[in-house]
Amino acid sequence: MCNACGNPAAPGHWTDAGAATPGDRLRARFHRAALLSNLLRPYGLTAHDGGVVPGIQIGTMAGAQTIVHNLEELWVEAERLAGRPVDPLDARYLGDA
Amino acid sequence: MRDTRLRLTILGGYLGSGKTTWLRHQLHVRAFGPRVHVIVNEAAETPVDDGLLTGAEGITLLAGGCCCCEGQGALINALRGLCDARSRVSGDGERLERVVLETSGLADPGAIVAAIQADPVLINHIVVDETVVAVDALHALAQLATEPLGRRQVEAADRFVLTKTDACGLDALSVLRTTLSTLNGHATVTAAVLGEEVALAPVPPDVRPAMLPDLTGEDARGPIAPTQVTIPPDLDWSAFTLWLSALLHARGDDLVRVKGVVRTPAGRLLLQTVRKVVQSPEILPDQGDMRRDNVIVFIGRGYRPEDLGRSLRRFLGLPSAAPINPAPLHATTEGSLT
Repeated sequence: MCNACGNPAAPGHWTDAGAATPGDRLRARFHRAALLSNLLRPYGLTAHDGGVVPGIQIGTMAGAQTIVHNLEELWVEAERLAGRPVDPLDARYLGDA
Repeated sequence: MRDTRLRLTILGGYLGSGKTTWLRHQLHVRAFGPRVHVIVNEAAETPVDDGLLTGAEGITLLAGGCCCCEGQGALINALRGLCDARSRVSGDGERLERVVLETSGLADPGAIVAAIQADPVLINHIVVDETVVAVDALHALAQLATEPLGRRQVEAADRFVLTKTDACGLDALSVLRTTLSTLNGHATVTAAVLGEEVALAPVPPDVRPAMLPDLTGEDARGPIAPTQVTIPPDLDWSAFTLWLSALLHARGDDLVRVKGVVRTPAGRLLLQTVRKVVQSPEILPDQGDMRRDNVIVFIGRGYRPEDLGRSLRRFLGLPSAAPINPAPLHATTEGSLT
């Protein structure tokens, strides 16, 4: 574990499963960041992963930025920045309401 | 790359359900393979069980505190000690291969898994292999009807070992097995009498599960029910994990367990979660029963069963019209257990 940044605390997050080589892992990170970016836009948030610095950077349109290390942290921070819950079973997300 | 981490088997089950008897026989016939270390936890101050267990490489006794709650620190320390000693052994053929943790009858196996996953040292050294739960064929139905803990143990199991089946009538046994499969449909069921495995007759198709009262009190979220979601064959694993992590974040306290095998370009991944904790997925070999691939079982409450499949399709950007069919697991209609 790196003393300066604390990464990585665990041997790969569970979402990295299946990406065995460093190239695969990098590709998976870019791909995930692109998906996240689309996903968070309706919440007024942006997501960016440059592939160099560990973690995913998320921010608001107003400029608030934060770095999260995994997806568990990501949803907590996204809710905080967006000021509302992120719930895939929410009626509004499902298009029911 | 081979996973060289230490394998951990958690053995749970209610007080007096026959955990030690079963474990004793398994150690005697070397069912866990060579180089096994056993950790016995007893909630009481006076240890009884450790004298009965022979046939293991070593035994650690943790008395005076259940290791899912107040004795958790002692368990973590014991496991760290084992990992430390193991790291000093260089030969592959001499290293400790497996730890069997016999929990106290009052322990929630899910809490133990969560504690191990949360520890920054143990997560690198230990992979939780299987949760075996001993179920007393004589008393389990009564316990399940009154004890929330008994239900949590059943929900956390990967494998049930029905004990004392020789003292139990066939009808009662069938009702128990049907009830267990409604509470936790993905766990395999075996039976043992005094630790020795016995064959189980098939359950007659017309057996109804026992009526279990709702133990959650004023909890209005409804009973815990299993839902199957079939995922599309050309699944985008990254998108799926995003969806699942968001779902667990929002609904993790309601989703008791998620389990299934997902086909990805990298191989078949065994995915399992206990509450909000996801175990690092294992790559399974291309053998065995592959018919259940790409079907994920969600056990939980507080949502409409069909919403899981709808939400996933929406997330993956698939048309919602195609039936992804999140059918309730068993004969229970509308996802209800009672």
